[in-house]
Amino acid sequence: MIIKIVEIIAIPVLAFLVGIFFLGLSRRIMARIHWRYGPPITQPIIDIIRFSYQESVSHGVIFDLGIIFSLAASIAVVLFIPLGGMCALSSSGGLLVILYLMLLIPLGVALSSGEGANPNISIGISRKLILSLGYEVPLILILLTLMTRYGTISIADIVSQQGSGWTIFSVPLFMSGIAYFLILPAILEIRPFDMASAPQEISSGHKVEYGGKYLAIITIEHAFTLFIGLALFVDLFLGGASNPLFFFIKMLVVFILCIFINAVFPRFRIDQAIRYLWKWPTALALAGLIATSVMW
Amino acid sequence: MDRNQITKWIKNPKKMGSKYSLWAIYFCTGCGIIEIPPILTSRWDAERFGIKPAPSPRQANLFLITGYVTLKTLKAVVRTYEQMPDPKYTVGFGSCPINGGMYWDSYNTIKKLDKYIPIDGWIAGCMPRPESIFIAVTHLWTMIDKGIADGYEKYKEKYFYYRKNQEKALGELDWPPLHPMKKKEEGQ
Repeated sequence: MIIKIVEIIAIPVLAFLVGIFFLGLSRRIMARIHWRYGPPITQPIIDIIRFSYQESVSHGVIFDLGIIFSLAASIAVVLFIPLGGMCALSSSGGLLVILYLMLLIPLGVALSSGEGANPNISIGISRKLILSLGYEVPLILILLTLMTRYGTISIADIVSQQGSGWTIFSVPLFMSGIAYFLILPAILEIRPFDMASAPQEISSGHKVEYGGKYLAIITIEHAFTLFIGLALFVDLFLGGASNPLFFFIKMLVVFILCIFINAVFPRFRIDQAIRYLWKWPTALALAGLIATSVMW
Repeated sequence: MDRNQITKWIKNPKKMGSKYSLWAIYFCTGCGIIEIPPILTSRWDAERFGIKPAPSPRQANLFLITGYVTLKTLKAVVRTYEQMPDPKYTVGFGSCPINGGMYWDSYNTIKKLDKYIPIDGWIAGCMPRPESIFIAVTHLWTMIDKGIADGYEKYKEKYFYYRKNQEKALGELDWPPLHPMKKKEEGQ
């Protein structure tokens, strides 16, 4: 009982620290790829401290509540993800709950920032929601494949059944793993798919009216989003881990690959992104689903 | 983050946070903006000091005015400055915002920018070298440390005079006063 309560408090804190570390690391690695020295690795924490002491301008009650709603949804998703042996809320239907709650994160941001009547915000929100629609289709197909293969909808059971071999190396399911890796930049909102918060064209989109504490909350929420996308990949395809340290090392390897993609690719337009997401990852995931349902 | 700065961080996180996380809203007036891309990119990497271009005034806390300010841009400069959240710092860049520079006898250019918005520091030169921008940044750090980069508080205190100068230059302004219009402080 006490261990459960400690886990419920500790896992979001741990996820926040890991996500912030990833944010700092991404800025650092990007700088080294650009042949620059780069900021200190604690720079996102310094930014968050600065934001939280700045004056914040509100645009109404929903502007305040929606962003907290989004942050709460991301913390709830983190609680359902097994984290190297630890899982705060391991229900029997973990995958479905995660699938449901993951959509609430962009919806909360859309609810909040829609209150500020800036034209850049409406463009940013529409791009963000269309993008989440784009990656939800292959994601659902991938999760259906895993449910068919392992005969369960509990994410903890899927992790424990991978003791014999990782999913990404098993024969029909490697297609689903590749499909997940192809949509991973869209889930993490990094460079080929960062059109929702494009600073150069629409002034950071949905974030344009956020200042002060709102910007601090949205940075924390971005850190949680990074953590969720990577942790799901490690849990579903890389076999989880026996302790949190190995789990974070696996996440780190996947994340560094994603940063390399982020550093060299230009930004898609939203129609190109949807065309890509509904073509290659969806086709691969569908092929994986058909092969799995034939073999099992 | 230096190890001997940890006590400073615990004592005054607001000051240290705004010191090491200066996000600049680059308001592209005049010719100075062409000096900004080399500062951000690989040659003189400004991100190692925590300086980053901010996409909107709400997220920024450093306002670089890079070049001459015409009457038309002055309106946008004032609006952008008023949209930025406190604490905020302003730096005039180049000789044109200081005293008009080569536009000293122009009919359409603002000569002294600090009559309209408070300026915390100046970088002289036409154009300043990128090195001088980093010297300006370290000066701004010292000023924030000593608490003398308080232009945003002066703007609130002496809003009557700034507003009067703005109305003198631009005619009737189409937005209401941001702060209470105190003509003189009490006791004076």
